[in-house]
Amino acid sequence: MTLFLQQLLNGVALGSTYALFAFGFGLVFATLGILNIAHGMFASWGALIALWGVDEYDLPFIPAVVVGVIGAGLLGVAVDRLAFNPLRKRGTGLLGTIITSIGVAIILGTLVDRFTGHRTKRYPSGTFSEDLVDIGSLNLQFIQIVNIIAAFTIAAGLYVVMRHTRMGAGIRAVGYDPDAAAISGVNAGRVILLTAFLAAALAGFAGVLSGAATSNISRGMGDALLFKGFAAVVVGGFGDVRGTLAGGLLIGVAEVMGAQYISSSFRDAITFGLLFAVLLVRPRGLFSELELKRA
Amino acid sequence: MIAFLDIFSDYRATFTFGLIYGLFALATYASLATGVLSMAAATFGAFGGFSYARLQADHDIGLLGGLVAGLLAGAAIAWILSFVLLRLSSHYVAMATIALVLITRVFVVNLPSLTGGPNGTGLVRQSTLWWVLGVTAVCLFVFWRLANSRYGLAATAVREDPQAASTLGVSVRHIQRVSLVLSGAIGGVAGVLMADQLQFIGPNTFYIDLAFTMLAAVVLGGAYHWFGAIVGAIVFRFLPEILSDYIDDGHEIANGILLVIIMIYLPRGIVDPRRRKQREHGLGSKRKSAKADAALAHDQAEAVTS
Repeated sequence: MTLFLQQLLNGVALGSTYALFAFGFGLVFATLGILNIAHGMFASWGALIALWGVDEYDLPFIPAVVVGVIGAGLLGVAVDRLAFNPLRKRGTGLLGTIITSIGVAIILGTLVDRFTGHRTKRYPSGTFSEDLVDIGSLNLQFIQIVNIIAAFTIAAGLYVVMRHTRMGAGIRAVGYDPDAAAISGVNAGRVILLTAFLAAALAGFAGVLSGAATSNISRGMGDALLFKGFAAVVVGGFGDVRGTLAGGLLIGVAEVMGAQYISSSFRDAITFGLLFAVLLVRPRGLFSELELKRA
Repeated sequence: MIAFLDIFSDYRATFTFGLIYGLFALATYASLATGVLSMAAATFGAFGGFSYARLQADHDIGLLGGLVAGLLAGAAIAWILSFVLLRLSSHYVAMATIALVLITRVFVVNLPSLTGGPNGTGLVRQSTLWWVLGVTAVCLFVFWRLANSRYGLAATAVREDPQAASTLGVSVRHIQRVSLVLSGAIGGVAGVLMADQLQFIGPNTFYIDLAFTMLAAVVLGGAYHWFGAIVGAIVFRFLPEILSDYIDDGHEIANGILLVIIMIYLPRGIVDPRRRKQREHGLGSKRKSAKADAALAHDQAEAVTS
């Protein structure tokens, strides 16, 4: 029983990272209608920028995280301006942005490889506390607890912002119909910039935390987050942080439990099998009532 | 001419793989031509490639037999998948096929008795550039004939407006199913040739990178004409190769930049039938426009009746 609870906790911690990444990925899909293949690279870059802060300027961990998150956010805005904005007027639909985002993913990924020398980097030991924290008879690493707290806090924050502020209403309006939103006085251009920044910054945050928790900062880390985050968004449903959080946690727990009780090599099969099954049975996601109008 | 032959021998391998990539791109185009945004060509390739590897190891099958086996394997799996995939609306098809490619790799890794697992499978090369050229030529011939057939017309109708097409008595689901099976058959063949030329296939051979690049190649070459897929794949394969002589490690980046630029400035790709039509019928010269329109209408009428 202890083992089960321990693994449940580990699964929640892992799922929190997935959810954190998936918030931004889902936001971009629901609001801007972009299936952003390059989103994983924002995570790799966020982690890499934070590492650069730690290595070059001896920043403590928290300022380094802030630098990484803001850096990733700005990168997201730059990518939106250069690769997605020119397509908005043309109406090339989903295919167009998939193609440019593949291009961007290739560019950013190759640059990650160049900066890491194709190796896996990690934060130098002592950057953050590596203690085990006891919770009753169970224990978690400090950074895993940070992951869980971050995911739940940000989910709550995003929920409040999206449902109870003018800004959130603007974002939802643009997601529903950008032209109608603009007619009713929403500054669509600003909403798009804001969404791009927020989504990439969240990816950067997930990247930093994932890099810290798994001691793996590389191109592969971003790719893994992309696919797991993608699964979390699809399983949980688009456009609602509660669904995305639930989707991320479900996948995290399913992975850890599957590895523990079935077979560790089928870990990915469980995630992607779940993804495929949900797409077939309930394409809008297990927890979503929202209809996807546009993409 | 001699310069051309020089280039040819220098880049022989690149050209071979360019053609094989072209087949994958054709497989992607086949489904895209009916509006099904599918990245499953990589999965079909995996079925073809691994079936061929197994048959070669166990039964010493020849290349021709391998190609037929790959074609059948790809087509069969595409047919089965079409029943689940085509129930979904377009965005979800894209996502489901991405999921499919991810799942395929998991199965390749976890079925070592069939695929060699994480270590992959080795093969004996049987094909030459001429084989690859021949197969490509046959596939292109099929697409050329299809484009001018009733099926091609129906496919265009389904792609442009499924509702209108179904009002006109075109069974959208059926046309899309045919296109997916065609995609599977060509993907399977491409997988066989890929496996044969690489002489080794593993879990990462038919993975998401291939799926993404092939979709990109189709759009780069032109998603509105069957020849675009081949052009796109060859450009996509050659550009890094040529650039790597000048820049050591920037050639990957060049491909990425190319994709973004093409999509922004030439969203219909390099081969664009609409552009050619405009050129042929004169650009906006008012005096001729009535005549051009008549000619166009005549062309279309002919296409409908033939």
